[in-house]
Amino acid sequence: MAELLAVDDLAVTYRLGDTLVHAVDGVDLVLPEGAMLGLVGESGCGKTTLARALMGVLPGNATITRGRVLLAGTDLVSLSAGEHRARLWRDLSFVPQTAMNALDPVYRLRDQMREVLCRRGGLSRAAADRRSAELFTTVGLDPRRLMDYPHQFSGGMRQRAAIAMALALRPKLVIADEPVTALDVIVQRQVLDTFRGLGLELGLSAIIVTHDISVVAYLCSMIAVMYAGRIVEFGPIERVMGEPAHPYTMGLMNASPDLARAGAELTPIEGSPPSLVHPPMGCRFAERCPFAERACVQAMPATIEVAPGHSAACIRSGEAGELRRRAREVATWRQ
Amino acid sequence: MEAAEQLAASPSLPGAAGAPLGSKLSVLVAQLRDPYAFAGVVIYIAFVLVAIFADALAPYNPNDILFTADGQLAASLPPSAEHLLGTTQLGRDVFSQLVLGARPSLFVGMTAAVAVATIGTAAGLLSGYLGGFVDKLLMRLADILLGLPFLPFVIVVVALIGASLQHVVLAIVLLLWPNPARVIRSQVLTLTQRQFVEAARVTGASEWRIMLVHVAPNILPLSFLYGSIAVGWAILAQASVSFLGFGDSDVVSWGTMLQDAYASQALDRGQYSWFVPPGLCIVLVVLAGFFIGRGYEELLFPKLRDS
Amino acid sequence: MSYVGKRLLHMIFVLWAISTILFFMFRLMPGDPTLAYLDPNFTEEQRQLVRQQFGLDRPLPEQYLIYMKNLAQGEFGLSFRQRQPVSGLMLAVLPNTLLLTMTALLVAYAFGSLFGALLAWKRGGLLETISIPVVLATRAAPEFWIGMLVLAVFAFSLNWFPSGGANIAGARYASEWDRILSLDFLRHLTLPALSLAIYLQGLPVLLMRSNMLEVMREEFVTMARMKGLPERNVMLRHAARNALLPLITAFAITFGQLVGGNVVIETVFSWPGLGHMLVDAVANSDYPLAQGAFLLIALVLVLMNFAADLVYVLLDPRVTHGSR
Repeated sequence: MAELLAVDDLAVTYRLGDTLVHAVDGVDLVLPEGAMLGLVGESGCGKTTLARALMGVLPGNATITRGRVLLAGTDLVSLSAGEHRARLWRDLSFVPQTAMNALDPVYRLRDQMREVLCRRGGLSRAAADRRSAELFTTVGLDPRRLMDYPHQFSGGMRQRAAIAMALALRPKLVIADEPVTALDVIVQRQVLDTFRGLGLELGLSAIIVTHDISVVAYLCSMIAVMYAGRIVEFGPIERVMGEPAHPYTMGLMNASPDLARAGAELTPIEGSPPSLVHPPMGCRFAERCPFAERACVQAMPATIEVAPGHSAACIRSGEAGELRRRAREVATWRQ
Repeated sequence: MEAAEQLAASPSLPGAAGAPLGSKLSVLVAQLRDPYAFAGVVIYIAFVLVAIFADALAPYNPNDILFTADGQLAASLPPSAEHLLGTTQLGRDVFSQLVLGARPSLFVGMTAAVAVATIGTAAGLLSGYLGGFVDKLLMRLADILLGLPFLPFVIVVVALIGASLQHVVLAIVLLLWPNPARVIRSQVLTLTQRQFVEAARVTGASEWRIMLVHVAPNILPLSFLYGSIAVGWAILAQASVSFLGFGDSDVVSWGTMLQDAYASQALDRGQYSWFVPPGLCIVLVVLAGFFIGRGYEELLFPKLRDS
Repeated sequence: MSYVGKRLLHMIFVLWAISTILFFMFRLMPGDPTLAYLDPNFTEEQRQLVRQQFGLDRPLPEQYLIYMKNLAQGEFGLSFRQRQPVSGLMLAVLPNTLLLTMTALLVAYAFGSLFGALLAWKRGGLLETISIPVVLATRAAPEFWIGMLVLAVFAFSLNWFPSGGANIAGARYASEWDRILSLDFLRHLTLPALSLAIYLQGLPVLLMRSNMLEVMREEFVTMARMKGLPERNVMLRHAARNALLPLITAFAITFGQLVGGNVVIETVFSWPGLGHMLVDAVANSDYPLAQGAFLLIALVLVLMNFAADLVYVLLDPRVTHGSR
C-alpha cells in the first residue's frame, strides 16, 4: 500500500509569555492509504497539538519549529499560506471534539455545508444541496435535518454532521480529535460504527486522536502511542496491543479495563508526565518506568524496530517478552 | 466552624470567589501594578489635592470681577501671564474658576459614588440573599427607576425641590443605585449556590454571619467597580444639569463654567481657552474612574446576566 | 406565559408606575395643586376646558383615574406658554428628535461595529494602544462639551455648517416630508448628529471588540479556518456575525436612553426636539408641557427596552427555535 502521510521529526512550540512549551518534540509517523491510525496518550501528551499541526491551523502563539509533513509527497509545512489554504479541506479535513462549539450556531446546517461545497468545492447551490443530502445519508442522518440549526441536534448527531462536513470535498485524509469522548456509550458506538463503515466502504484514511484505547481497538488498524511530546511506540494494532514493546504501552494495557481479564486489578501508572518547558535529556518516561536503568536517563532512546512495521523507543525493547511478563504483575507498578 | 472556614479559604480560582477578606485586599493592592489602574489613582489624587488646596492655587477669587491696569473691565481677555486661561466675558479669571470648580465636581462625584455603591450593594445583598418578597419588591422598584429617563428626571426633580448640589446628588443616587444592585444580586445568587455557603450552613452559622462573612467579601470588588464608575456618571450628570441651567448657581463648577461660556458666545468668538479646559478636567476625572475599574477587571471575570 | 408576553406586561407595569409617580410628584409642589394645570393667563374658556378634562374639582382618587384615562388617550392638557394642546406641540417636534437620534445611532453603530471588529482582528498592535484610550476618552467626555467643540470648530471657526436649529428660520415647506428631506435640514442635522455619534460610538466599539475577542476563541472560528476559508470570511461571516448579537440589543436600548439624553445636544444646537422642549418647559414653569414631554420620553425609553428584548429573541436562533 502506498504511503499517504509521512511525518518527519515534527516539533511544535507554544509561547506563553516568556516561557516556551515544547508540546510536540520530534514526532515521526507513517500512515498507509486506506488505513486508520489511532493516536493515543494521556492528557497533555501533545496529541491534540499534533493533530492541529498536521492540519496546519494552530493557535496564534504556537509554531512549527522543525520537521516535515508529507501528504501524498507534498510537504505541507513548506507551503506558503495561500498554497496551504488551497489544500485545506480538499486534501485533508478535521473532525473536532464533540464537546466543543464546532458548528456556527447562527447558520443552518444546509448553509454551512453550502459554504464548504460552493465556496471551496465550486459546486452550484443545487449541486451542493444534493451532495449534502448524500453526505447526511452516508453518516446516518435524515437529509431533512439540513434545515436545522446546530443547537437542535443532539451530541451524537452533531458529531455525525461534523463528519459529513469533513467528507464534503472527498479529502485524502481525515483527522478526528477525540471524536466520541463526550458522548454516552451507546451513542459512541453509533458514531464509531459510522466511522468504521466509512473506512470499509470508502476506504477512508484517518487519524483518530483519543485517550481511550478501546476506541482505537474498535476502529483502527494501526496505533501510535504518544508520551510527553514524542511517539514511544508505533505499529499494527494487534502487535502493539497484544505484544507491547514499550513499558508505557505495557502500563496502559494494564490500566485499561478489559472484560476479558474480568476480575484482574487495574493498576494505574504512578506519577505524572515531565514538564514540557524543560524536558529531561534522556527518556521521558524513565521517571515512572519500573524498568528504567542508568542509561535511560542519560540519552534519548532511539526508535528500535522490534518487528516489521512495529517500533518502540526503548533501549530494553529487546527484552520485551520478559518485561511484558513482569508488567502483568501488580507489584511491578507499585513503587 | 473550622471546616467551613477551611472550605471558604480554598479558592477555586486564583484570587477569586471563596477567598477570605485579607487575601482579597492584597489582590486588590497588587492590581495597582496595572498601568491603567495606577494612572487612574494618580489622576484622582492629583485632583483631590487641587480641590483641597484650591484656595492657595487660585490667583483670584473666581467670582470677582476684575479690571485691567487702566481701569477697563478685564473682559474676554486671551491667556496671559496674569490670566493663565484668560477671562470670562464679565471679567472673571478662568483659571481660578477651573481650580475651584474641582471642589463641587469632586464632591458630587465622590458622595454620589459612595452612596450608589453602598445602597446598591446593600440592596443587591438583601435581594439576592433573602429572596422572596424583599427581592421582588426591590427588583420591581429597580425596574421602575431604570425606566425613568435619566437627565429629564433629574431636571424635573431639581425643578420641583430646588437646585442645590445636595439635591442633584440625591436625584443622581436615586436613579443609579439599581445598576450595581442588579448585578450584585446576580452574583449573590451564583455564590449562594456554591459549596462554601452550604458548608457554612451545615455547621450552623447564622444567616447574617454567612451573609457578612462569606458572601459580602466576594462582592466587594463589584461594589468597588461600580463605585469608581459612578464617580464618572455623577460628575457627568451634574455637569449636564448645570449646563442646562438647573444646577446650583451659587457654586462655580466645571459645568457652570461651560454653561457660562456657551451663554456668553464664547464659541462664536473662538475663545477655546475658556471652554476647553473645564471639559478636559471632566474627561480626566471620569477616565480615571474607568481606568481604576478596568484595572480590577480580572477580579470580575464572571459574565453576569440579570436573571 | 411566553417570554414576550411577560416582557409586555412588565412594560405596562413600568409605564403605569412612572405615570403614577409623576402624578404625585406634581402634587409635591407648594401651593394649589391646580397650578400644575391652570395658568393665571388662561381665558375662562380654557380654564373650564382643562378643569373638565382633568376633573380638577373632583376628589383625589377620581382625579387620578381621570389622569390615567387621559394619558392613555394622549391628553396632556394645555401648554401655559403656548395655550395649545400639549399633545399637538409634542407631535410637531417628535420627528426632529427621532431623526436626530436614529441618524446618530446608525452612524455610531455602523462605525462602531466595523472598528470594533477591526480592533479585535488586529489586536496587540499600535492601533489598539492608541485607539482604546481615545475611545475611552470619548465615553468620558460630557456630550454637550463634544457638541460645543464640534460647534465651535465646524460652525463658527470654519463656517461650514449652520450653528443651530433644524431649518433656516422662516423657511416654508409644502409638507413635513419635504422639510425632512430637504438639503437645508440635512445641513442642520449634520453637526448635532456628528456630535452625538462621536459620543455614542464608544460603546459599540468596545462591546464589539470584546465580543469578537470572545467569539474568536470559539471552536467554530478555528473550524472555519480549517475549512480553508479566507480570513476575511472567517472574521466577517462567522466571528462578527456572532459577536453582533449583543450590539443589536444595545442599539435598541441606547435609542431609548438617547431620546431622553438628547436634552443636552438639542440645547447646544438649539435643535427643536422633545428634549429641548422639556428643558424650556421646566425653565418656564410650563408644567403641562414639561409633564407631557417627560412622559413621552419615558414612553419611548420603555418601548425601546421592550423592543430590545424582542429583537434579541428574534435574532438568536437558539431562542426562537428552542434548544433540545
